[in-house]
Amino acid sequence: MDTPTPSKDAAAPDAAEAAATGPRRRDVLVAGLATAGAVLARPAIVRAASETPVKVGFIEDESGNLSIYGVQKLHAAQLAVQEINDGYTLAGGPVGMGGLGSDGMYAPKAPLLTASGSKLDVIDAGGTPSQKGIVVSDDQEILVKSGEKGLLGRPVNLVSADGQSNNTLWQQLARRMIQQDQVDVLVAGFASAEREAIRPIVDQRKQLYFYTNQYEGGVADSHTFCTGAVCEQQVIPVMQYMVEKFGPKIFTIAANYNFGQLTASWVRSFAPVLKAKVIGEEFPPLEVSEFSSVIARVQQAKPDWVMTLLVGQNQSNYYPQAAAAGLHLPMASTINMAQGYEHKRFKPPSLANMHNAVNYMQEIPTKRNQDFVQRFYKMFPNDPYLGQMAQNTYFSIHLYAKAARLAGTTDQEKVRRTLEAGWTIEAPEGSVFLEPATHHATHYIRLAVANAKHEISFVREWPSIEPWWLQRLGVNLARTPEKKQYTPDDDPFFKMFK
Amino acid sequence: MPEAVSLLYQFGTNAAFLLLSALGLIVILGMMNIINLAHGEFMMLGAYAATASVQRGVPFPLAVLIAAVAVGLFGVVIERLIVRRFYGRELGALVVTWGISLILGQGALLLFGPFMPPIAIPGGAVALGDYSFSVYWLFLIVLCGVLLAALAFVYRATRFGLQARAAMQNARMARALGIRVDRIYMATFALGAALAGLSGALLAPTTSIAPFMGQQFVAPAFITVVVGGGASVIGGALGSSGLLSLVQTPVAFLFGTFSGTLALLLTALVVIRLLPGGVSSIGRYFTRRSLAAAR
Repeated sequence: MDTPTPSKDAAAPDAAEAAATGPRRRDVLVAGLATAGAVLARPAIVRAASETPVKVGFIEDESGNLSIYGVQKLHAAQLAVQEINDGYTLAGGPVGMGGLGSDGMYAPKAPLLTASGSKLDVIDAGGTPSQKGIVVSDDQEILVKSGEKGLLGRPVNLVSADGQSNNTLWQQLARRMIQQDQVDVLVAGFASAEREAIRPIVDQRKQLYFYTNQYEGGVADSHTFCTGAVCEQQVIPVMQYMVEKFGPKIFTIAANYNFGQLTASWVRSFAPVLKAKVIGEEFPPLEVSEFSSVIARVQQAKPDWVMTLLVGQNQSNYYPQAAAAGLHLPMASTINMAQGYEHKRFKPPSLANMHNAVNYMQEIPTKRNQDFVQRFYKMFPNDPYLGQMAQNTYFSIHLYAKAARLAGTTDQEKVRRTLEAGWTIEAPEGSVFLEPATHHATHYIRLAVANAKHEISFVREWPSIEPWWLQRLGVNLARTPEKKQYTPDDDPFFKMFK
Repeated sequence: MPEAVSLLYQFGTNAAFLLLSALGLIVILGMMNIINLAHGEFMMLGAYAATASVQRGVPFPLAVLIAAVAVGLFGVVIERLIVRRFYGRELGALVVTWGISLILGQGALLLFGPFMPPIAIPGGAVALGDYSFSVYWLFLIVLCGVLLAALAFVYRATRFGLQARAAMQNARMARALGIRVDRIYMATFALGAALAGLSGALLAPTTSIAPFMGQQFVAPAFITVVVGGGASVIGGALGSSGLLSLVQTPVAFLFGTFSGTLALLLTALVVIRLLPGGVSSIGRYFTRRSLAAAR
C-alpha cells in the first residue's frame, strides 16, 4: 500500500501550443468571415461579428439541496472565463499522452496537509526523499499566454442560470440557453438526474455540451463531452485499496437515484474480481436526513468497510450521526470530501478514515495546484472550498477555448470535431487527456484519506487512468454517433465472475 | 436482546424525528387550522439562531432557548403583519405562508450563503453488543415526551389554554365572553413559531445548516399532524408518530430506508382513507358510543 510515487509523462505541450498560437491572425480572419456568414444567415443579430461575445452557457444549482456544489462550479467557471478574457490559457494541445516518466527519488510517506482554511500548509512533508521509483516530471507553470484577449478576437461571456436543484427547471433553462441565448457551448450539470433531464434537448439541438462532474460513467453521446472521472477511474482504485487494507466485506450506502444505483452496481460488479463481497446495500432517498435505521443495519451486517455514496445536504447528515452513534468503520467514496467538502463542514472526527480516489481536491500539494488555488481564492476570498467538479469545470472551459481557437471558429460541429483530435490539457490536477473515441478524459487519480482531525493526505497515486470501460464496450463516437448511457449490466465481462 | 434494544432505539428516534418536525405545526395547523407552509423555514431560523449563538460561545442549551424566543418573536411579527389578515381563509393562508417560506429560504441564502458550519452533536455514544446508540438522540426522545406533556398541560390546564380553545372553537362567542381573541391568536401563533424554532435548534446538530434545510421537515410534519387528526391534536400527534414509526422501523430495518419511507407513506394513506378524522378520531368515536350507550 505504499506509494510507488507515480509516473507520468511530461506531455510536451509547447509545440502544440505553438501550432495553436502561430497562425493566429489568419485564424481570426477566417473566423471573422465565418461568423459574419453566420450573422447574415441570422438576421436577428445585428451587431458586428467582432463585438459579438462568445457565449458559454452555464447551468448549476446555486440554491437548493445541491447548492454546496453548484456555487464552487460557477466560481471556477467565472475564473476560467476571466483568464481567457485576460489573455491566458492552460498549457496543452492536440497531442496524445507521452510515455512514462523516469526513475527518481520520492518521499517515504505521503505528505500531510492541514484541514483548516485555504492556505493548505504542509504539516508533514513526508521526510527526505529516499526511496527510488518512477517519478513524475511535472510542468509547474500551466497558465500560459494565449496570444489574444478573449477568444477569436471576441470577448467570452458566461451566460449563467440557477437550476435550483430542480430537474424540470433544468430542462426549461437548457431550452432557453440553446434556443434563445444560442450559446456556443453549454457547460452544465451536477446530478446525473439533471444531466439525463437535459441531454435529450442537447441532442435534439446538436448542442456542444460539457458535463464536468464525476459520475457513474457510460454516457456515449456524440454531442456530450464528460470531463469528470468515472467509475473505472475511481471505484476500482479505491475498492482495491480498501479490500487490501481492511478486508473483503463491503456495505454500500448510496443515494437512491441513477448515480447512486449505478455506482453501487459497479461496486457489486467489481467485488468478485477483487475476491470481495457486498454483504449489504442501502439506498436512502435524497429527502432522508435521519439515519438511525441505516446505522443499525450497518452494525448488524458487520462489514469490514463502508462504501458511502451520499449526495446532497440532507444525506451528508449521515456522517455526524454515524459518528455520534459510535459507528467508526473505515469508509470509502467517490464523491464525499472532494465535492461537498464534508471534512471541512463537519466537526472531526465524523469523516475520520474516509478514503476517496479523486481526480482533484484543493489539498493536492503540487505547485501548479497551489498556484491555481491561490488564483481562485484571490477572486473569491470568502469561498469555503474548491472541489473536484469546480476544477473540472475550470479546465473544461479552457479546453473549449483552446479547441475553438484551433478550429478558428465557434461553429459547434467544427469545434466538436476539433475536440476529437485528442487533447492533452495541463489541468491543476495534472495532465488530462480527452479521449476522442469516448469523449471521456484520462485523469490523474489520487487516493485521499482523512485522519481523525480531518487532515488530508494522498496515500497512493495513479498518474494516468484511462476511461477504458466504454472502449471495452466498443464505443467510438468519432466514427459511430450514439446517444445512450451504458450500465454495468450491458457488459458481459462482469457476469463472468458472478 | 441487543437487537431488540436497537429496534426500540430506532423506533424512538423515528418517532422523535416525526414529533420534533411536527411540534410547531401541532399548534399552528392542529389548533389554529392555518396551513403553515413556512413551518420548515421557522425550523430553519431556529437552527440558524442556535448555530450562530453557539459559534459566539453561548452554551448549547442556552442557544436552544435563544432560538425558541427569537423565532417566537419573529412569529409575532409575521402574525401581526401578515397572517392575521388570513384567519378563516385557509387557502389564502396557504398561499401567503408559502410565499413567506420562499422569501425566508432565499433570504437566508442571500444573507448567510449556501451553508453554515454545523454544531457538533453533544454527548457521545453508548454501546450494547454490536450496536451503539447516540446519547443525544436518547435525550431527544425523552425531551419529546416532556415537551408534549408540557404542551398538553398548557392547553388543557391553564387559563391561556382554556381561552385559546374557546377562541379557536368559536371566536365570536369567545369575544362576547370578554376574551381578547386577537391577542390569543397572536400568542398561539407565537407559541407555535417558538416551538418550531425550538425543535429546529434541537435538530440542528444532527443536520446540515443550510437555507433550504427546513424542507426536509415539512412533509413529516404535515403527515404527523394530519394523520393525528384534529379531535385531540396532541394525543393525535403522539398516536400518529407512534403508529407511523411502528410500521416504518421494522420495514426499514429489514428492507432498507427506501422501503421504510414507502411503508410510512402507505400507512399515512391508509389511515387518512379509513379515518378521515385521523388517529385521534378513534378516541372520539369510542367516547360518542359510550355516551350514546349511557343515554
